[in-house]
Amino acid sequence: MTPLHIPILRHTLPNGLRVIFSPDNAVPVVTVYIVYGVGARAEEPGRTGFAHLFEHMMFQGSENAPKGAHFKLVESNGGSLNGSTHPDYTDYFELLPSNKLALGLWLEADRMRALAINPANLDNQREAVKQERRLSFDNQPYATAIVDRWPQLAFRNWQSSHSLIGSFEDLEAATVEDVSRFFKTHYAPNNAVLVVSGDIQVPQARELVETYFADIPSQPPALAPGLAEPPRTEPCSETYRDPLAKVPALVIGYPGPARRSPDYNALVMLDLLLTGGDSSRFHQNLVKGNKSVIQYAANLGWPFAGPSDYLDPGLYAMYLLYNPAFTGAQIVAQVEDQIASLWKDGLDAGELDRARTHLLAGRIQGLQSSHARASLLGRYELLDRNPDYVNTECDAFLAVTAAQIRDAARRYCVPQQRTMLDILPADPEEGK
Amino acid sequence: MDRTKPPQTPALPVYKLPPVFENSLANGLSVLLIEDRRFPMVTARLGFQAGSKYDPAPLAGSLSEAAAGLLIEGTESRTARQIAEETAAIGGSLHASSSPDHLQLAASALSENLPQLLNLVADVARRASFPEEEVELYKQNRAQELLSQRAEASFQADEKLAELLFAPHPYFRQDPTLETIEKLDRATLAGFRHRALSPNNAVLVLLGALPPRERAIELIAAEFGPWQPRELPPSPPASFPEPARSIVLVDRPGSVQADIRIGRLAVPRRDPSYFPLLVGNTILGGGASSRIFANIRERMGYAYDAHSAAYPLQDSGSFAVVTQVRNEVLALAIQALLDEMHRIGAQPVSAEELDTARNYLSGVFVIRLETQDGLASQVAAVKLLGLPLNYLEQYTTRVRAVSPEGILAAAARFMDPQPASLVVVGDASRILAPLESFGKVKVEEAK
Repeated sequence: MTPLHIPILRHTLPNGLRVIFSPDNAVPVVTVYIVYGVGARAEEPGRTGFAHLFEHMMFQGSENAPKGAHFKLVESNGGSLNGSTHPDYTDYFELLPSNKLALGLWLEADRMRALAINPANLDNQREAVKQERRLSFDNQPYATAIVDRWPQLAFRNWQSSHSLIGSFEDLEAATVEDVSRFFKTHYAPNNAVLVVSGDIQVPQARELVETYFADIPSQPPALAPGLAEPPRTEPCSETYRDPLAKVPALVIGYPGPARRSPDYNALVMLDLLLTGGDSSRFHQNLVKGNKSVIQYAANLGWPFAGPSDYLDPGLYAMYLLYNPAFTGAQIVAQVEDQIASLWKDGLDAGELDRARTHLLAGRIQGLQSSHARASLLGRYELLDRNPDYVNTECDAFLAVTAAQIRDAARRYCVPQQRTMLDILPADPEEGK
Repeated sequence: MDRTKPPQTPALPVYKLPPVFENSLANGLSVLLIEDRRFPMVTARLGFQAGSKYDPAPLAGSLSEAAAGLLIEGTESRTARQIAEETAAIGGSLHASSSPDHLQLAASALSENLPQLLNLVADVARRASFPEEEVELYKQNRAQELLSQRAEASFQADEKLAELLFAPHPYFRQDPTLETIEKLDRATLAGFRHRALSPNNAVLVLLGALPPRERAIELIAAEFGPWQPRELPPSPPASFPEPARSIVLVDRPGSVQADIRIGRLAVPRRDPSYFPLLVGNTILGGGASSRIFANIRERMGYAYDAHSAAYPLQDSGSFAVVTQVRNEVLALAIQALLDEMHRIGAQPVSAEELDTARNYLSGVFVIRLETQDGLASQVAAVKLLGLPLNYLEQYTTRVRAVSPEGILAAAARFMDPQPASLVVVGDASRILAPLESFGKVKVEEAK
């Protein structure tokens, strides 16, 4: 059994808001974390980028906290805050000195109750999002290929294949009515989970939560987007010329298993064996042995999620920056050789134990901050209806056997189900 | 309850750092132990006065960095693979990195494996062997990585600004070039390890669920005690150029936007002006309630990212405002930034702004100490920079002691835009003309 004992106290308000308290009084810091069950995969055609645009609107003021107040009140009290949009959820947090818990709750409740949606705020944030797109995507090597093109190759269903950041045309088309409707439908207490973690006394924290959130009305539940994907039967491959890239990069993905299924647990461990730390197979055999790969990242859910928020249909995907002396096809072959050797030749002595220890240590390391604990608790409540996974999922991962990993490698990471995107410098001379 | 106003809240309870036990070995290794039993982990830092500023000119920006990268790639008794596998087996991590001033090993493990962790850290620090094959692979991959970094406008901008502010002081070269990477070899790296990584040049911070103190010291002495002290290389003379207005446009054809830096030379943490500069910077552009954020991003909508930052180094420091804007608004955005830099040195900040910034810095400071990594990094930095150990305890008090007059004086010295260096990375064919309205522009090819 893993030595994890993160305290979890659950409570549901009559309006459907699910609340989790997780006290830890060592450092006078508290996190207020709220996650709404709506993300980019719930967007409608013609409204790409809407979930993210809306996330920006959440910082534009609400009934009693005027424009700018949210940032100002949190920062002037020594805290930090942010929001982020994901395929299947959108989350917000305030990290504050613990005496400011009431402030964080007041701010979140005020905008859940009555967000200030008006044309001026919308225009202003439309510009900010467009600028964010220019900065973080259009002007970055690899980013456009990964954010816009990769989902189109990897998914057939529009809900999953459209751009999460959205197109300028769709952002222009968004109206105040769209934003208001989105708010009413998705930003309701019954579509949210609130977590309060860190230096709190639970009875007082609970009283504050009741005070601020209990009378926010619930809404009829939104229809969940239809995400079903047709099965993959043949490989799909594309070359992308990136004028900003100087070194070639490859994205490879395979449709993944259902969340929390035995195969999901097996793929988490498989990924650790392949890419977890310097003793992993990719590092030892591709970066070191073949000297073909320079850097890599991989995950169930890459690039927008990891195991903690992977939701099927999704992919086990990886990104490899590679030595231009090799071709993308050679890299794919090397990657699939590594995976095949797992099921053909089996695991080395000690390899699985190392991966298990690595997993456990990483988890302990990753739960040290109140924000990290709150974010996992909130998302597990939202995605699994079971925040206890924070303490228990490691046991499921650690129980995966070598045979299960080999079996999952053989069934999931196969050429027929592979999608690959080879991102090459636009001018081939530049990569030399 | 009045929902229309932010809630009144009690004062922040006083937080004292966990006690730091300070000791040193006979060979000069400085040891700091901090007990933190919240998690069954131990975190270590082994830092050296061996950053890139000590790099010899032909290897500027590359030697210390390469040595750090290669420390864990083989010792006299372990291959890179053995180091990686042993680290994973103890639930550990082991990495080294180099900054302009310091080279630092960062390591952690499940606390039951502390002896193995110390053995690994000591082995790589004392006996790294820089195997030929690993050195060649490092050079090949670092060159590719550098090409990749150069594809990013922000990297080009940071690199150019450092050059304008610090050259000829070695702080100007904080990254390698293809040429300095190519010159690296095993003998030079081994020489660096022998010369620069010695116990009298090092600080060891150990934090977490530690064994009783005598036992911890015993374990440390066993691994690090026999390490011989050596004569230390001198620091480069701390002389820096006089600030002067210069404008450089790094041409990046096809850029859809322009990456802007306006910078000045500033001061290290130990300088009495540092805290006023820090608080002034927070008001100017240090966060989402800062002037630059409010004006450039929120009011004018020119940019997604618009901020300013102070970067203290051991012997100097810099200050810069940073933004990325679409080409059409380049001149307007630069003028707005220059105006803000001027204004903060010309008029006292308001009591509300000062209060906001002081609270912000104090609160964020506590939040950084929530994790073992955060606390270990702070303690190691204080010790390596030669600051008094009570620096962390006094941080909040010193932030709160900053006055509007202090900010005015610091801003007049370090934020005045007149002698500032201005770097823009973008498409010269589209932005040279508007940039020329600020003075003579030197156009350079992107490297």
